[in-house]
Amino acid sequence: MNFIQRMFAATLMAVVAASVQADTFVFTAIPDQDETRLQQRFGKVADYLSKELGVEVKYIPVKSYAAAITAFRNNQVQLAWFGGLSGVQARRLVPGSEALAQGKEDQFFKTYLIAHHSANVDAAKSLADIADQLKGKTFTFGSKGSTSGRLMPEFYLREQFKAAPADVFSRVGFSGDHSRTIAQVQSGAWQLGAVNYSVWDTQLAEGKIDTDKVKVIWTTPTYPDYQWTVRGDVDQRFGNGFKDRIRKALLGMSDKELLASFPRESFVPASNQDYAPIKDTAKAIGLID
Amino acid sequence: MLPALNPAHPFTVQSTARRLTGVIALLAILAAIALPWADLAMVQSEPWPELKRLATGLLLPYWDEPTILLESLGQTLAFALLAVTLSAPLGMVLALVFHCRVVRWFCAAVRSVHELFWGLLLMQVFGLSATTGLLAILIPYTGVFAKVFAETLALQDKTPARSISLKPGFTSQLALWSYTRIPQALPALLSYTRYRFECALRSSAILGFIGLPTLGFHLETAFKQGLYGQAGALLWAFLILIGTLRYWLQPRLIPVYLIAAVWLLPETIGFSNSGYLWQFVSRDIWPTPLLNGDLAGTVNWASRMWQEQAWPGLVQTVLLTQLALFLTLVITLVVYPMASKVVAGRLNARIGHFLLLVMRSTPEMMLAFVFMLLFGPSGLPAVLALAIHNSGLIGYLVARNSDADQRHRLDDPAGIARYAYLETPRQLPSLLAWLFYRWEVMLRESAIMGVLGITTLGFYIDSAFEEIRYDRAFFLILVTVALTVVVDGCSRWLRNKAGVESAGG
Amino acid sequence: MSANHQPAFQLTNASLSYGQAQVLQHIHLTIHDGEKVALLGPSGAGKSSLLNLLYQQRADRCALCPQDNGLVDILSAYHNIFMGGLDRHSTPASLWNLVRPLKRARTAIEAIATQLGLGTELWKSVDRLSGGQRQRVALGRALFRKKDIFLGDEPVSALDPIQAETLMQHVLSQHATAVVCLHSPVLALALFDRVVVMKAGSIELDQPTRQLTLADLNSNYITDVPADRTALVLPEKSSVVSSPEACVTGKIQR
Repeated sequence: MNFIQRMFAATLMAVVAASVQADTFVFTAIPDQDETRLQQRFGKVADYLSKELGVEVKYIPVKSYAAAITAFRNNQVQLAWFGGLSGVQARRLVPGSEALAQGKEDQFFKTYLIAHHSANVDAAKSLADIADQLKGKTFTFGSKGSTSGRLMPEFYLREQFKAAPADVFSRVGFSGDHSRTIAQVQSGAWQLGAVNYSVWDTQLAEGKIDTDKVKVIWTTPTYPDYQWTVRGDVDQRFGNGFKDRIRKALLGMSDKELLASFPRESFVPASNQDYAPIKDTAKAIGLID
Repeated sequence: MLPALNPAHPFTVQSTARRLTGVIALLAILAAIALPWADLAMVQSEPWPELKRLATGLLLPYWDEPTILLESLGQTLAFALLAVTLSAPLGMVLALVFHCRVVRWFCAAVRSVHELFWGLLLMQVFGLSATTGLLAILIPYTGVFAKVFAETLALQDKTPARSISLKPGFTSQLALWSYTRIPQALPALLSYTRYRFECALRSSAILGFIGLPTLGFHLETAFKQGLYGQAGALLWAFLILIGTLRYWLQPRLIPVYLIAAVWLLPETIGFSNSGYLWQFVSRDIWPTPLLNGDLAGTVNWASRMWQEQAWPGLVQTVLLTQLALFLTLVITLVVYPMASKVVAGRLNARIGHFLLLVMRSTPEMMLAFVFMLLFGPSGLPAVLALAIHNSGLIGYLVARNSDADQRHRLDDPAGIARYAYLETPRQLPSLLAWLFYRWEVMLRESAIMGVLGITTLGFYIDSAFEEIRYDRAFFLILVTVALTVVVDGCSRWLRNKAGVESAGG
Repeated sequence: MSANHQPAFQLTNASLSYGQAQVLQHIHLTIHDGEKVALLGPSGAGKSSLLNLLYQQRADRCALCPQDNGLVDILSAYHNIFMGGLDRHSTPASLWNLVRPLKRARTAIEAIATQLGLGTELWKSVDRLSGGQRQRVALGRALFRKKDIFLGDEPVSALDPIQAETLMQHVLSQHATAVVCLHSPVLALALFDRVVVMKAGSIELDQPTRQLTLADLNSNYITDVPADRTALVLPEKSSVVSSPEACVTGKIQR
């Protein structure tokens, strides 16, 4: 029984550990590409913030936007690098939270629709021109909660077809990730897909894409995407003006190695208002009530 | 394995083999009915460049940071070990009162929710922490242990207990069983717990998919980003861990492992808000109209959920599960002899065992991905992935049983004749029993099929979590629970019908 | 069958041990074709081990009927008997036989079953048969091997004395040579030409039946009570003890 007592002690420890209040500033981030070695790469960002803010800063790696939102909501993290949609969802759940900064690229983000060569779809400037060619094909989004992989492409598809994707295409799936969307459309498993433009451009530059097999057929208009969002109560917890210092630290981040983790050229100021279009779109397609 | 009809009385079933074949035929008929409705389209694709990269990665694994690998292996082990150590005794206690209907329902309910969904639920309450990981395995496993332990105990010879008379009541019942059925069943219980530990290692690894720092965390990243060399390294590490289980899982070392496991549990960073539990239970999981006291609105909400998600999801789930169930049976009958020493020979059986290890330990997500590259997105990769994983598991159990069987005689046949006349008929009852156990597991596992564009219940639950709509997730989980209870009942009925009663799986 | 001077089995100073336990020691035994040998002796004397040794010497000529009859529970009596003839059938034929009984095999097995008194039970799975019926199935499997030597390990222990004798007689008539472990000295004297008595891994006595009486066997060597049925229900331990009184005690306890 000795052994069982020890086990109870273990659980108890785990529960106690979970409820200990640590005055550490915690943030999370899921980059839109290259999710390897998150801990090392963002550990350096944590060190940078720690130096700038004068408090201990830690980074928690998460797997999904939903997990990031959850952590943000239960105050496990106070700052998060969200996608456009996840930021909107998080700010709805945590009143008082605000968008502080976005990547320079995130002011004009866009999505590519891509097609396998067997789908015989032409590249076009306007979605209306190829609408008939798209109908009845198979189509994969990226992750369910992604702005560039799901929300915006779905919005433009709905706008064009006046119908849900499931009614336009013969089959609709969620590959879960931009890299996988590219791999699966390239292999012909899916005929069409929606992919984050910067992931596509990077992989194209790295020679990972065979343009005989898969090509971009349409580019969405631009929209705002990734941003830093902070909880409203950080000033109470870490002292007045803390939020402004975070903003300053983020905007002042100039080390190329740190920025490459996101990967962004630099950070520029952002506000909740910048994301109103995303919020409206999410409402329009029924992703938020 | 079709036994002959009795030519004299073709309609009287006097042969157990015939009765079991009847059950198998029933499963075949159900699968045949599901076949035309299920979505099994195949598309012509060009999978070879990607598959070549995948194969190269698996054959030439690389990993340049051993500390990360070791750390995640250690944490995978820690969660599994602690969860099983806690849930086995808890399951035992529940097993003793399993005759009580409320307990049975409770157990069916907790085990009908996939570990990943438990993880997602608990994450709302305990954040991304060791507690979440531990409970996500512990809770469903307690339900499974309770059920299997109760059924194992029920199979024991009742004579010793009959000769002791005691006052009714829980404590005297406990005392009675501690002296009779529990010691009688102990070898079976321990062997099952051991097997379950292997399952827990898998669950623990898979919890990495939602962010716990186990193997699955890095595996999912590497795999989805096409870093197949890294994925290969992680997969091999995991296969070796499970393949060498019997060498390192020594009873006397378990206390040492437990201390190490507690020490290895990941540190919880920054989580403080446990007061959030109440909000989650009292508000988040209930639909808004219900919270506003709007009964008509609630009914409206529920009926829309039912029409748009629950019912279509239910249909897809059942169709896929029935097909996968029958295919599992067929594949099991093909693969188990490869790992059985008495049929395949000692050396071949080693190869066979490795094959089964790969089949049962490769996450279904990866199997489904490979089949999707080959056949395109549809129910087909889903059915194949489920069937391969489950037949790897059942095949392993059958081969193990077959090799443990002591009923040998010097003039027993060898090879295929031995397979058809001896091993398969002898193992068929437990094979079917395991298959029926896996039935409800397959229901849960169909959750992975979202990537294939197959809208199972799991797909909708996952979507609800992704959209932070816990009311929908909760509703759909309740539907899953109800479905599991029904399937559990069917499985119990079929097992009685077939007269197969071997606990496990 | 073959000439008398060519022994069917020959053991010269044979010993056998499992780990520490010496099961057989210094066995000298020659059995010629045409001989019907009864093996007697208490449980644990090494009779089964000796039988296995003999089987391994002439596996191709022997039909074996071991003590735990090794039947396959869920298959019918027919299929269990057919198993004796697996080596005479091609694999596809054997597999098809599981689906539909092969015509010729069915005729032959029905005949065997009738002789063994199994006619109506042939299509029942053996898990639904009584102990005695299962022994008949095991005998059927041995008969269907169609070999000239029969090696039986208590093949009729679950049958009543009269049936045991009739069936034993039938089995002996179908084989030129036989070596059979028995519990019953009565049966040994009635049906066999030669009796070998074993004790603690050695041969205690080896004589033609005509030189022996029941009294010889009972008083000197045999510890189990004559009637096979009684012997069967005795607890395993009490059948190992060596005095007749102990067996009586065993009976009373029952």
